[in-house]
Amino acid sequence: MSANQSIWSFRFSVAAIVLIPVAVGINYIGKLFAGALKLPLWLDAIGTVLSSMLAGPIIGALSGLINNIIYGLTVDPISFIYALTSVFMGLVAGYMAFKGWISSWGKAVVVGLAVGITAVVISTPLNVWFWGGQTGNFWGDALFTYVMSQTGSTWLASFLDELVVDLPDKVITVLAAYGIYRILPQSLTMLYKNNNKTESI
Amino acid sequence: MSLYVNRHSLVHSVDPITKLYYIGAAIVVPFIAPSFHAAWVCLLLSVSLLLIARVFHRAMPILGFVAFVLATVIVIQSLFHPGNATAWFHIGSIGVYQEGFWYALGICFRATNIVCAFSILVLTTKPSDLVEALVRKGLSPRIGYVLSSVFQIIPQMVATMGTITDAQRSRGMETEGNLLVRIRAFFPLLGPVVLSSLLNTKERALALQVRGFNATGEKTFLHEQQTYQYSAVLQWGLIGVVIIVVIWRILS
Repeated sequence: MSANQSIWSFRFSVAAIVLIPVAVGINYIGKLFAGALKLPLWLDAIGTVLSSMLAGPIIGALSGLINNIIYGLTVDPISFIYALTSVFMGLVAGYMAFKGWISSWGKAVVVGLAVGITAVVISTPLNVWFWGGQTGNFWGDALFTYVMSQTGSTWLASFLDELVVDLPDKVITVLAAYGIYRILPQSLTMLYKNNNKTESI
Repeated sequence: MSLYVNRHSLVHSVDPITKLYYIGAAIVVPFIAPSFHAAWVCLLLSVSLLLIARVFHRAMPILGFVAFVLATVIVIQSLFHPGNATAWFHIGSIGVYQEGFWYALGICFRATNIVCAFSILVLTTKPSDLVEALVRKGLSPRIGYVLSSVFQIIPQMVATMGTITDAQRSRGMETEGNLLVRIRAFFPLLGPVVLSSLLNTKERALALQVRGFNATGEKTFLHEQQTYQYSAVLQWGLIGVVIIVVIWRILS
């Protein structure tokens, strides 16, 4: 089986499937801790990114999708709309991780930037469609107002609005996930790979 | 942990799948209907359904947040919308424009309508009923398992989180103070929770495999299938409404 086939495979090991609820839980806990420590970030996608690193893009994307569905059902229905963003973040993080982009902190920053840009590119049309371009974040919306009054472009304003809010958050999210990934024992990291040789526990 | 409110009402007794159809229609109709009026008619309908289900007050906190953002949308668009031409009045040198205001009002109706439609599903459907209905409709039972197990895992992890926080505090870790202190506290708190829950997955995977999680063949259900009345009528009705709106759009 070539590496390319196995990372896009829909045939998951049981370990990879039980990773998904844990990923959703980690997202949830990350957000709770960030809130409890009053950090100026959401950090609500650490589990999605970590599951992408451990089990590949499809599991990452599923974790993102299910995370937003569960969050929508239990806390905030608006999160259903942003499920698309989570799916793409999982895909990008998982693809880059399996292409070897998580071998050092420097490379992890690149993954963080890629995931951040992905989130911005997917979220901007959703913001324009749903909110007319704003994000509900004070600093982002202040920038939105300024750019729109200067250039008259809703899209540019909305893109920058999302960029200043999302990019730092996603870079730190990926670094946090990478920091956890690094310290995991190999017996655990091998568990989730879609490879028959390692499926026996 | 869920927003579900247990009541007996007409809306509660509707098939969860039909509520999903309603969400689809609530998103699509105001968007493709060539009339501004479609947006507020849909909103009125969604709010009425929340009232009939007697859960409107539970939707208030959700709508409160939305209303706050939408208020800023109205202000910003009235002042700076690119299509602004006709000023209502001026405050100092800044004009308040009609085009931006109506544009923003359209956004408000659409956004609130979508939030209400999702609220109908979320507030009147038990998550486990929704998952079961989806599995009966053909969703993979493995994904069904994932969805319902999240509801067990999150409370477990929150409990672990409490234990870890107490343990780290008792070792003298600062969780309050300036930003740097709080950032540094994040990892010793998150790390152990993540590690222990990942280790648990190993055991859970074993337990599931032993119980035939991977077995192929027909899966049966623990609960008897709930019967809902008028599901087909309502679902086809909603599809019909969408088709009519599409035709209306094409003809106008």
